[in-house]
Amino acid sequence: MIAPDTARLSPRFRAVPLAWRNLVANKRRLLRSSAGIAFATLLMMVQLGFEQGFFDASLSLVRAIDGDLVVTSAYKYRFGTRDPFAHGFLDPVRSVPGVASAAPLYADWQDFFWTSPSDGKPYLVRVLAFDPAGPTVLSIPGLTALQSRLDSDDAVLVDDRARDFLGMDTNAGSSQINGQGVRIAGRFSLGPDFMSDGTAIMGDRLFAKLLPGNRDSAANLPIEAIVVKVAAGSTVPAVQNALKAKLPDTIDVMTKAGIVEFERKFQAELSSAGPIFWLGAIVGFVVGMLISYQVIYNDLSDQLAQYATLKAMGYKTSYLVRSVLAQAALSGLAGYVPAWLLCLVVYRVIGVFALLPLHMNLRLTALTLGLTMGMCLIAAMLAVRRVVSADPAEIF
Amino acid sequence: MERPGPGAVLRLAWRILAHEKGRTVLAVAGVFIAILLVFVELGFFVAVPRGGMLVYDHLRFDLLLCSTDYAFQAEPGQFPRVRLAEAAKVPGVAQATPLYFAGAKWQEPRGGYRLDAFLIGFDPAAHPFAVPDIERQGATLARPDTILVDGASRSIFGPLTAGTEILLDNRKATIGGDYRLGTGFLGMAVAVMDEANFFRLLAPRPADAVNLGLITVTPGADVQKTADALARALPNDVRVFTRPALTEHEDTYWTTRTSVGLIFGSGLIISFIVGIMVLYQTLATQIARHLPEFATLKAIGYTDAYLATVVMVEAAMIVFVAFVPAAVAAVAIYAQIRSATLLPVDMTAPNLIAVLGAALAMSAASAFLSLGNLRRADPADVF
Repeated sequence: MIAPDTARLSPRFRAVPLAWRNLVANKRRLLRSSAGIAFATLLMMVQLGFEQGFFDASLSLVRAIDGDLVVTSAYKYRFGTRDPFAHGFLDPVRSVPGVASAAPLYADWQDFFWTSPSDGKPYLVRVLAFDPAGPTVLSIPGLTALQSRLDSDDAVLVDDRARDFLGMDTNAGSSQINGQGVRIAGRFSLGPDFMSDGTAIMGDRLFAKLLPGNRDSAANLPIEAIVVKVAAGSTVPAVQNALKAKLPDTIDVMTKAGIVEFERKFQAELSSAGPIFWLGAIVGFVVGMLISYQVIYNDLSDQLAQYATLKAMGYKTSYLVRSVLAQAALSGLAGYVPAWLLCLVVYRVIGVFALLPLHMNLRLTALTLGLTMGMCLIAAMLAVRRVVSADPAEIF
Repeated sequence: MERPGPGAVLRLAWRILAHEKGRTVLAVAGVFIAILLVFVELGFFVAVPRGGMLVYDHLRFDLLLCSTDYAFQAEPGQFPRVRLAEAAKVPGVAQATPLYFAGAKWQEPRGGYRLDAFLIGFDPAAHPFAVPDIERQGATLARPDTILVDGASRSIFGPLTAGTEILLDNRKATIGGDYRLGTGFLGMAVAVMDEANFFRLLAPRPADAVNLGLITVTPGADVQKTADALARALPNDVRVFTRPALTEHEDTYWTTRTSVGLIFGSGLIISFIVGIMVLYQTLATQIARHLPEFATLKAIGYTDAYLATVVMVEAAMIVFVAFVPAAVAAVAIYAQIRSATLLPVDMTAPNLIAVLGAALAMSAASAFLSLGNLRRADPADVF
């Protein structure tokens, strides 16, 4: 007999082999159960990936702001809506000690129609504008090198990651915005969010010219945001406080991190996306738990006699319970690893078609691994009661 | 031997299921969750285009006149108002009434955020809205600078009680009352008002630019023929949609031009695969459990085909038993989703039939997959 020897080994050494042998005893059953767990896990990964991708897309513009502090209207409930303030606030901002540079950013989400070179139809796009001769205000891949090209009366830069039907990723050299001809001077990569299908960037003079109903020159145009860089030797909070003291309370001053958080909070509270994706993930969790429960329940039912025998031989119930839990954790892992790999492919495919930035990262890996282990272990704890109550005398 | 009839198949399948109740309950629970999952994902998938059609579904029109620049409801483009007068002269047209759309900043007079609201101006005399709350409040609409607000507007817009004063683009307006329609994808808040109020609040917007024209045809007139006549009679800066063509256009917009179609479409596909997995696992376990019995049946002369039928019937029984509570639970979840996301997620007959069809397809697929085990059941091996 081998068992009594093994029984004398410390629990750490003997727990896994029994679980492992139970797991691999029936290869077809293992394949079936891990496929079930893998798809439930994949469902959670995709749903949570969407949730993260949604926030990443929504926050891509505020994250691209190239500054330490951002001055906006205090009435703005989110960054991505037009609510400009008077140009006159630019000079007071520049006069505050510790401000190394303060550059106006103009933006509009509702008034600029870009004629798609693909089908010749006008589509609403997001437009960002700044003084091409001034300091950088946005750090978007491909933009910095092209900024000087905007110093012209008809030059625009367009987003090569915009949605297809805008035709921004074609080789077209010119198009129209609000019915006026513009020259495409280059392309940057930003991507759409859930409000805008694409983005055009232009110099402040052209923005003033194309903005419907605008009578101001670029030198006097209402400003959407002032991007402030803090001088070496000054701290960001100190300059933020000095700016707040100088400006009326209709104007707000936020740190870069603060405005990203502000936008995130808006998206979390007012959009439906968060609850929708979490609901999907919860359903995946429940499905996974059920699959896992079925696997363990059936396995334990089949092996009840063996477990009862082990008990009769003197193995403690706690040892058998640990073994069942270890087996559940192993089967969770056996589902998780292929799901994680498959998920990389799914993210890539969806990212290409939906232009949604889906990335597997440490947060998602840890979160979904935790959920997978959780569903398998909860299922095991529910199912293991059969082993606990297995009475050797009754079984035979 | 005597050929067993269909009744025997049903009885055998039932006995197998009734034999070990614990496992059968577990199997039904698994299939229940799988079906529920498909219901939820399908609800979302259908809700998005339906959300896009929500306002159209509550407007009275047979034909929609719009600019050739029309992208979708919230981005309709504009056309000259005179087109409506021209359309009214076309034979078969009973009425042509305009809708005006605008975005405006909504603010409480004491300050606070300037929120984005979606405003619709219309002619109350033409009764374009098939919404009882709006019809009822005709006298309120006639008051100057008075608006009706959709009760489904987000709570951040504050209490929408009648008499509340607000600022729209810095001009004072009064909430005259509310109505129940749903904001669809127009924005976080929607307000409707008499066109006279609309143009006063949004001055200096020119009254000549119309966003949508709602056309009703005379009783007995052929809708499609009237649409063709309009298309011929009007210049090519406008286009005409019949209701089916409009539904198709908006559906296509939401499912192909935005991320939502793909997001919920992929959720639907994955939920379907997970459903098959659960069912397959359940059935395969059942068959593996009863392999000795199946082998015995084979040994006494039952054919593979007969036993396959038994498994198919078993699968179908599990699916039917799980389907009913899943549909009931889905109705409850839909109600939760409606209140949490304001999407029009509803249980409809097509949804019900589609999911039942999908569930039966899933059960057929998984029964087919698990038949491999059955065919291998060799009486000589089992014992």
